[in-house]
Amino acid sequence: MSESIEIEVAGSAPTPPVSVEIDVSHAPAEAEPTPAQPNKRRSRKRASAEVPVQPNPEPEPSPAPPPPPHPASAWSTQPSEDLFEVELEVRNRAAQAEAPSSSSLGDIAAGLLSLVGENMRRMTEEQVGKVNEMLGGTDLRDYLDPDFWKGIGMVLQYQVQEQVDFIKRRARGEYTIDPYGLDPDIIEIVRPFVSFMYHTWWRVQAQGLENVPAQGRALLVANHSGVLPWDGAMIASAVASEHPLQVGRVVRSLHLHWFTTLPFIAPALAATGQVPGLPENAVRLLENDELVCVFPEGIKGVGKLYKDRYKLARFGRGGFIQVALRTGAPIVPVAVVGAEEIYPMLHNAESIAKMLGFPYFPITPFFPWLGLLGTIPLPTRWNITFCPPISTEEYGPRAADDPLTVLSLAERVRDTIQETINTRLAERTSIF
Amino acid sequence: MRRVLINGVGGVLGARVARRLCEDADVTVIGLSRYEPLAPLGRAEWLVAQLNGLQLVELLEAEQIDTVIQIDFAGTEAPVSSREAAIQQNVIGTMDLLGACLRAGVQQVVVRSHSWVYGASPLNPMMIDERRPVARSGLRGFLRDLAEVEIFMGEFAEQHPDMRVASLRMAPLVGGWSSLIDYFSQPWPRMLIGFDPVIQLLSINDAVEALAHFALNPCSGPYNLAADDAVCISQAIRLCGQLPSPTIESMIVRSKRDVSRDQPQYWPVDVNFMRHTCVVDTHRAKHEMGWAPQYGAADSIIATRQNGQAPPDREASEAALRAFLNRKR
Repeated sequence: MSESIEIEVAGSAPTPPVSVEIDVSHAPAEAEPTPAQPNKRRSRKRASAEVPVQPNPEPEPSPAPPPPPHPASAWSTQPSEDLFEVELEVRNRAAQAEAPSSSSLGDIAAGLLSLVGENMRRMTEEQVGKVNEMLGGTDLRDYLDPDFWKGIGMVLQYQVQEQVDFIKRRARGEYTIDPYGLDPDIIEIVRPFVSFMYHTWWRVQAQGLENVPAQGRALLVANHSGVLPWDGAMIASAVASEHPLQVGRVVRSLHLHWFTTLPFIAPALAATGQVPGLPENAVRLLENDELVCVFPEGIKGVGKLYKDRYKLARFGRGGFIQVALRTGAPIVPVAVVGAEEIYPMLHNAESIAKMLGFPYFPITPFFPWLGLLGTIPLPTRWNITFCPPISTEEYGPRAADDPLTVLSLAERVRDTIQETINTRLAERTSIF
Repeated sequence: MRRVLINGVGGVLGARVARRLCEDADVTVIGLSRYEPLAPLGRAEWLVAQLNGLQLVELLEAEQIDTVIQIDFAGTEAPVSSREAAIQQNVIGTMDLLGACLRAGVQQVVVRSHSWVYGASPLNPMMIDERRPVARSGLRGFLRDLAEVEIFMGEFAEQHPDMRVASLRMAPLVGGWSSLIDYFSQPWPRMLIGFDPVIQLLSINDAVEALAHFALNPCSGPYNLAADDAVCISQAIRLCGQLPSPTIESMIVRSKRDVSRDQPQYWPVDVNFMRHTCVVDTHRAKHEMGWAPQYGAADSIIATRQNGQAPPDREASEAALRAFLNRKR
């Protein structure tokens, strides 16, 4: 690297905003389990399933009267959810059955149904339609009917084929990435995990999402905490899944460019749509009217000690404000509460960090004592508040070169986040 | 009436640019090559010689050339046998040519360059535009020659503002010979374990179009050229029909002793390009020059894998036959 380049970088990169996270928000919206066309052919068999369950089920249930409108016909709009209901029912019936062979058969049937349901959560609309078609004439509650096994067999075969095709397609290199390295296939693979962390592990409560514009550029500025940067993934997840207009907006988080020098982490970050935190990148993304998330505290925030929790560190030198002023992007302050406690960092072992080349090395009650188990974050309850946007347009792009404007705006954003955090902390009764 | 000289017309790219320019009846094309051209040049006339600066001036003046295309670079059409000769040809050859153009009053010079002259670094922005300076270290071989040429051209253009000097920084070409695609196509090409940067490519068809377009229209300064889509290195290898084998760095970099050309080709450029990205922004070429790539990176690799053969398309073959039989006698 030449001298001139280094000088340029040092001069123009006052705050590399720091974050690393798994972001699931870029996947195409149609990958969600989406409504398929209503399945009418199932009605006859469904009616037969409505026959009250007998302690000793008949191998051939008698033909039933015309079907009454059934609320559970949500099957076609929420295929996987409905499949789980059916699975439960099959399991109950199998448990009530007297013949042992019949009960074990029922268990197998229930297991297969749950497998199909699990897989259907990940399918695209087109694939769900195909599965619906295959299961068309089959009553999923009647596992003693040979049609049931035929239908399930066909669906399983189809699913295996899909997986094999997917792997073959990857092996042939037939997939597309964007010039930043974002790979929609990888995001699809990560999505269920991040969704689990969001909904089940941390039970994230998102507020003020209406402050995130449904279109056009905006700069999300958040507090950074929690040793490992999970907060970015959760912010992205909140915007992608809970925005009131359901626009499924992609949040591009900026991470410390140091991460791009790490093996395995660098390609993973790129594939999930993360971008190194250089001002050029932020300006380019905002000029393309994207939603960009920065963490101006950087390493100082994410490597905070437990005793300093919820005290915002210095907001760099206001580089993120300069970016917003240059592009006229509104700033949305974001306050994350709950992430500070996921890894209570008692001590920063700087000598080990220096030896390993890490920015910090956390000592928590569980790490490094429990090894990999110590990296499991505590299941705290989170709250993410999106504050009203601060407009930067009235200052004009020239203001980016005025240190007073930049620093006072940075202070204003920091105060907003700190106040919001304090309010949320006062409202909170328990960290779990 | 334009009179264009192509230096380096002997290779595949040069021949195709010559034929492309000959389609325009207003353009006279003169070719200069170090060896007998490998492919037909259309109605272009050519000369096989290695000229020094003064001889170049004589040629340019006698033929009243107004535009020069410089694509005579060692390492672009075949593997380099001697580093010293390659530097002589690439760096000194281009300096000679630019000096001769100045002396002979040529209006415009278009030089082929490479999009990787910015170097690969973690500090690179995701999309590099032309304002970013060329890397002065961290490059080797052909790329280093080109970076030197670029630096010289920048200074030259500053001192002689009345002459238009443009450099086309093209992503690695797909089609024809290319050290990169060669590397990807060998069995088990090695990759750096844990890294898989994005790379850009450019179809040779788009490169031909760009050279002709930029030569015939006024332009100056650097222009980035690349296909609109990008691929990961592992993806490019898979598209070439191979599987990548992740290895550690010392197994990829060719050691100093091991320069025998019989060995399988190692990674042809600096190993940093296996670790970090060097993705360029083609906005300037598109908006100032109206150039746009017609072929995608992934599609061009797949097309090359079939050995450049035309796809078995009956209608296209029939049309080609009709066009050939009805050609002007």
